[in-house]
Amino acid sequence: MPAYQLTVNGRARTVDAEADTPLLWILRDTLGLTGTKFGCGQGVCGSCTVHLDGQAVRSCQTSLKEAAGHAILTVEGLSKDGSHPVQKAWIAEDVAQCGYCQPGMIMTAAALLKRKAHPTDGDIEDAFADHVCRCGTYPRVRKAVKRAAGGVK
Amino acid sequence: MTSRRDFLKGAGATGAGLVLGFHLEAKARPGEAPRAEFRPNAYLAVLPDGTVRITVPKTEMGQGVRTALPLAVAEEMDLDWSKIEVVNAQPGPDFKSMQTGGSTSVSSTWTPLRKAGAAAREMLKAAAAAEWNVGVEQCRTEKGFVLGPGGKKLGYGALAEAAAKLPVPKDPPLKKPADYRLLGQRTPRFDGPAIVTGKAIFGLDVRRPGQRFAAVLRCPVPGGKPRAWDAAKAKAVRGVKAVVEVPTGIAVIADNTWAAFKGREALAATTTWDEGPAKDFNSATLEGKMRAALTGPADEARKDGDVDKALAAAAKVLEAEYAFPYQAHATVEPMNATVHMRADGAEMWTGSQSPNRAQERAAAAAGLKPEQMKVNVALIGGGFGRRLGTDFSTEATQVAKAAGGGPVQVVWDREDDFRHDLYQPATLHRMRAGLDGSGALTAWAHRIAGPAVLRSWMGGQKSPAQASVEANGALDIPYAIPALKVDFAEVEAPTALGWWRGIQIVPNVFARECFLDEVAHAIGKDPLQLRLDLMGDRGVVKFGREEADIRRLKKVLQVAAGKAGWGRKLPAGHGLGLACHAYDGRTYAAEVAEVSVEKGQLRIHKITCAVDCGIALNPLGLEAQVEGGIAFGLSALFSQITWEKGRTVQTGYHDFPVLRLADMPAIETHIVPSTEPPSGIGEPPVPVAIPAVLNAVFAATGQRIRRLPLGPDSFK
Repeated sequence: MPAYQLTVNGRARTVDAEADTPLLWILRDTLGLTGTKFGCGQGVCGSCTVHLDGQAVRSCQTSLKEAAGHAILTVEGLSKDGSHPVQKAWIAEDVAQCGYCQPGMIMTAAALLKRKAHPTDGDIEDAFADHVCRCGTYPRVRKAVKRAAGGVK
Repeated sequence: MTSRRDFLKGAGATGAGLVLGFHLEAKARPGEAPRAEFRPNAYLAVLPDGTVRITVPKTEMGQGVRTALPLAVAEEMDLDWSKIEVVNAQPGPDFKSMQTGGSTSVSSTWTPLRKAGAAAREMLKAAAAAEWNVGVEQCRTEKGFVLGPGGKKLGYGALAEAAAKLPVPKDPPLKKPADYRLLGQRTPRFDGPAIVTGKAIFGLDVRRPGQRFAAVLRCPVPGGKPRAWDAAKAKAVRGVKAVVEVPTGIAVIADNTWAAFKGREALAATTTWDEGPAKDFNSATLEGKMRAALTGPADEARKDGDVDKALAAAAKVLEAEYAFPYQAHATVEPMNATVHMRADGAEMWTGSQSPNRAQERAAAAAGLKPEQMKVNVALIGGGFGRRLGTDFSTEATQVAKAAGGGPVQVVWDREDDFRHDLYQPATLHRMRAGLDGSGALTAWAHRIAGPAVLRSWMGGQKSPAQASVEANGALDIPYAIPALKVDFAEVEAPTALGWWRGIQIVPNVFARECFLDEVAHAIGKDPLQLRLDLMGDRGVVKFGREEADIRRLKKVLQVAAGKAGWGRKLPAGHGLGLACHAYDGRTYAAEVAEVSVEKGQLRIHKITCAVDCGIALNPLGLEAQVEGGIAFGLSALFSQITWEKGRTVQTGYHDFPVLRLADMPAIETHIVPSTEPPSGIGEPPVPVAIPAVLNAVFAATGQRIRRLPLGPDSFK
């Protein structure tokens, strides 16, 4: 059983687990980072979104083996104190309802804004096409992304 | 009308049961030295540093109770909103009815919470007055301080110990709405910062020392049992610790969730099932039975005048059949519960909308008394009525018991969630309307056929109130029609049913408001004008035990229509549609939808909603509920659960579409100012969204949609 090295929120971690274990469960069960959520396990709801080398990926569809050697960023690592522009915009627009899908949404928003400082409505719709929010926070998600636009370095 | 609320209340009254024994002594927590903590009642404690801890007796599931309910306490107590802590209540002697459903959280706690805050305020003022040796009438409160003559000022924390020794006023004066400082303001969600940093703890995020994780292999046909299986392959999966049989199936217990899932997959390959009596159940057969029931015997829910006679005498009779499918709740957080069996009792962590019932049933499953089962209510990653059920928390208790000690978290995956939901059932609706020679509506008959949610909720018993509960939204039709009949024909189905956001009101109002639109077009009358005419000048109208103020409904309809520009010239291919409903006679909602259909694709451009739910405690949260309620309703235009060979065809978001960001229309919410007591807002926007859109589709295309869900062929 090989141990895998990965960097999570800037910290080097060694994980001894099966190669096919989804990164989601390594984060949640092995490393205790429960901010990344389990919604579908099928890559269609977006709740488990994290950054892998700065790209938004579905951690339920990313195996430990694939994640090994890469830098992983979760919602817990986005800022020390909730001061990331996306987090601040999320509060300013009072986006969350139940809040469960929101860390995934926030990670997608952060990756989108890093890639494109001022996304169009179409860009936002494309970025969130694979996110499910059953509470229906979408109008505020759109507003919060626009509010944070230009602020993500 | 006996409402669902009566059944959700259970034995303990929702409202009065909340005001409980006042604890006058400062209470020490185990292991702590006694502190000068002021706990005048079960809802709040003033800590020595001035922080006020507010205990919320309802479950947060996104509807905002951890913001709105503390606001009611904070308002009366004049708190500094930045110095409050919010904790969830636990079922027990102080909180006998925490059930969270029916859009009743605010209405049922509004008075006791304000009284709790007002009593504390009066005691703190009295303590300060005694300290300063002045009259209490010379003292007032502001943002966590008592202010006295000559610039005297003491914080609540400093006064806590003295206040705790004073008698609790029984009937403290409550503020007038005009004096509100916090209520009515746009207050952001209390849990927002925890949510955006990933610190908010949902049921699935509970982590206890030594915790194990379990997945249960259940028969895909609800009610089926495993016949034979081989645990060896599951046990060979790294991390799997045990395979145990439980009443709902076979549980695989492991060190982590993934190992539990993999172990279960290995186990499934070796398992054969006795699929039980439901194995041949399918949607097509059920629909045939429902259609037959549209013309057979039924239980009466409302009868005004003689409908059969009126229809026979009518110059013209319109008739139509409406169909609404089974629906799943599809919460994003799958069902889960964590249970720790100990030698002397047990502890549970779960997101439950029925904490008291979860406690009772889990205790019974564990062979314990309810008070031996401590229940910690976690945040809920979507409830929508699903978590009123206790199936998942009882099952987790059974697994933890079979596991033989230590905390165990039972995790459902997405497919489990779809296959073993407590569904909203399918219904068919036979609508008939009689018109006289002048085009006036003289008769209205609404027959509903389908499985009964209430029977399933009551463990298979038929309640005398069954017809009125299943006809909610149909029998309380707000229009004055001389002859009117609403009835419910039950059709048996072997499916577990439960309460869904908006409950039966959703299909019933869909059929009612769309059919009324048909009537309007048949007689050449504007659908808005027809509704206003049929509401007339009536005031409070009774429907059995419920009543509704038709004036308030008329007002929201007029506001929504006015704001949406009803009657304005629209872009080519666009249409406007409207619908309204008085939800349980308490919350009044009207929506106007603007849609277009191009190349077979429906586009919902905008929904303008007007609501009157009494005093708006927090307009920011209220608008979120309107947006969310509309999104939930619109999702049901496209989603369905169907059954083949006793099991659901749909197993996830890939084949049960829910609204996505790109599909979400612009929402414009208008809160009609009101001085009435606050009612509820979680569900009322849901039912009107569907008919508003479908009536707009008719306006845009001339095509009448009577059957949901919409599919690729709907607009051909």
